[in-house]
Amino acid sequence: MQISLRYKDKGTVIHRLNPFAKLAWVGSVTLLAVIFEHPLFLLLLFLATLPVVILARAWREWVSLIRFVIYMSLVIVIINSLVMYHGTHVLLEFTFEIPTLGNPKITLEAICFGLGMSLRLLAIVSAFTVLNFTVHPDDLMLAMIKLKLPYKSVLAMSMSTRFIPTLAGDLERITDVQRARGLEMDKGRLRQKLKSRGAVLIPLLANSLDRTVQVAEAMESRAFGALKKRTYHREIRLGTYDLVTVCAAISPFFFGLYLRYLGYGGYRYYPSLQKIDPGQTGWLFLAALAVLLLLILPLAWRRRRYILD
Amino acid sequence: MCGNVKETGKRIVRYIYLVIVLCLGIFIISVPFWGKGSFLDPNLGVFNWGLAATVFVSLAVLGFFQEFESAAAGAKEIALVSMLGTISALSRLPFAAMMGFQPCGLFIICAGYVFGPMAGFMVGCLTILISNLFLGHGPWTPYQMFSWGLVGVTAAWLRRCDLLRGKVAVLVVFGFVWGYLYGLIMNIWFWTNFVYPLTLKTYLLTLLNAVVWDGTRALANAFFVGFFGARVIGVLERFKKRFSWNAV
Repeated sequence: MQISLRYKDKGTVIHRLNPFAKLAWVGSVTLLAVIFEHPLFLLLLFLATLPVVILARAWREWVSLIRFVIYMSLVIVIINSLVMYHGTHVLLEFTFEIPTLGNPKITLEAICFGLGMSLRLLAIVSAFTVLNFTVHPDDLMLAMIKLKLPYKSVLAMSMSTRFIPTLAGDLERITDVQRARGLEMDKGRLRQKLKSRGAVLIPLLANSLDRTVQVAEAMESRAFGALKKRTYHREIRLGTYDLVTVCAAISPFFFGLYLRYLGYGGYRYYPSLQKIDPGQTGWLFLAALAVLLLLILPLAWRRRRYILD
Repeated sequence: MCGNVKETGKRIVRYIYLVIVLCLGIFIISVPFWGKGSFLDPNLGVFNWGLAATVFVSLAVLGFFQEFESAAAGAKEIALVSMLGTISALSRLPFAAMMGFQPCGLFIICAGYVFGPMAGFMVGCLTILISNLFLGHGPWTPYQMFSWGLVGVTAAWLRRCDLLRGKVAVLVVFGFVWGYLYGLIMNIWFWTNFVYPLTLKTYLLTLLNAVVWDGTRALANAFFVGFFGARVIGVLERFKKRFSWNAV
């Protein structure tokens, strides 16, 4: 069974960045995408993710994800166009009636709202690409433990990732054994095929449960849970430079909150579209937000120099 | 004595946390009915409903995690839910392109039914946490964890009811119904963040858009539970008896 994680260690500056910094940056972009409504602000958030994705050399995977987002964007535009008739610029009015919705009326405002929300989705998915493709699952779990999430749950997740290759190996072995006994996996009707799969599934399950006991005994023999204070083989170090990077990664969020407090980042779609130009100060704030969002890039470069030196 | 006081203190904090999460949930659900026109009205855009719903779902999942801390007494329970979670997560991967038609519901329902609500919840959560390492995490992850977790929790309730216990047909219907209930919860993420206005009409339209996903999920749950449910439950029951496990 060939399975591969989304994460691939490509050794780029983004991969080498502290996981906390990447979590903080992705969190900032996601939260800002949720609190901003202005299309220009949402577009900026989306565009800010692109250099990070390119530097992480994850653009190919990114393109395959974005295809799905484009489909979802179409759904967003269609739903909003069908249900929102408060716009003043009617583009198309149908004569027939849809139960509960009345006469469908497509307005420019509803389409623009749908497009704005699609930008929001694009920004969120694009930001999460960075997390999915550049943070190793082990680092993600260590970060969860450091963030004081319930330990046993994180341990269960950590053990699950460790079981993946074991289970994949078991599955292959059991399939081979059943084939050697004359079981034909892909022959017969659906019922026969399902029966054959069952002949693999049930032994796999029983075997895995026995393994569970072995793992639990191994953990207990190593005094699992005896001490409240735990030690770790691997730790995520959070040095001064990393702390600065985390602060830089989270700064766009606080700046964005401040902008919302000042009244920037909001946008009125109904009854008619508000002027898109945010004004001179608005553009200045947009530029400042762009700088803060991209601050993570020079810091990532410098970190590599710092490690090399 | 000191240990007892500490334990009681922890339990009180846990209950307070659960009460807060419950109140937040009731608040979020009820505000559209009594908060119309006020700054809490979801359609005025002052209070971000998408963010509020995501925070609530995340806190609820954390609440269950806290419960698991006390429910899982030792390494055995943790290893068990990890293993079942991994099997369930791996079963989801080959079916990723088939919309909601995935066999993970089989393992979550059976785990909850045999090992209890907390084990069911954890298997549901781990299924998503692990499979999304391959399929992609996102803001939808807490909603998926919460929804599949609840499938596991409620499957355990079936066992407590004498009328419903030991019948695969009941589990098949249960899985089918949960295919749609899952959609009711999951679509809240899409609806609150990308659709305007937030009304029952727009919510129903969002559900209509996902009807194929939810339908295939319902069918998959019913199909896999119907075909493999009895045998999987048999294996899990035998294991439970052999090692005298208590429900988690």
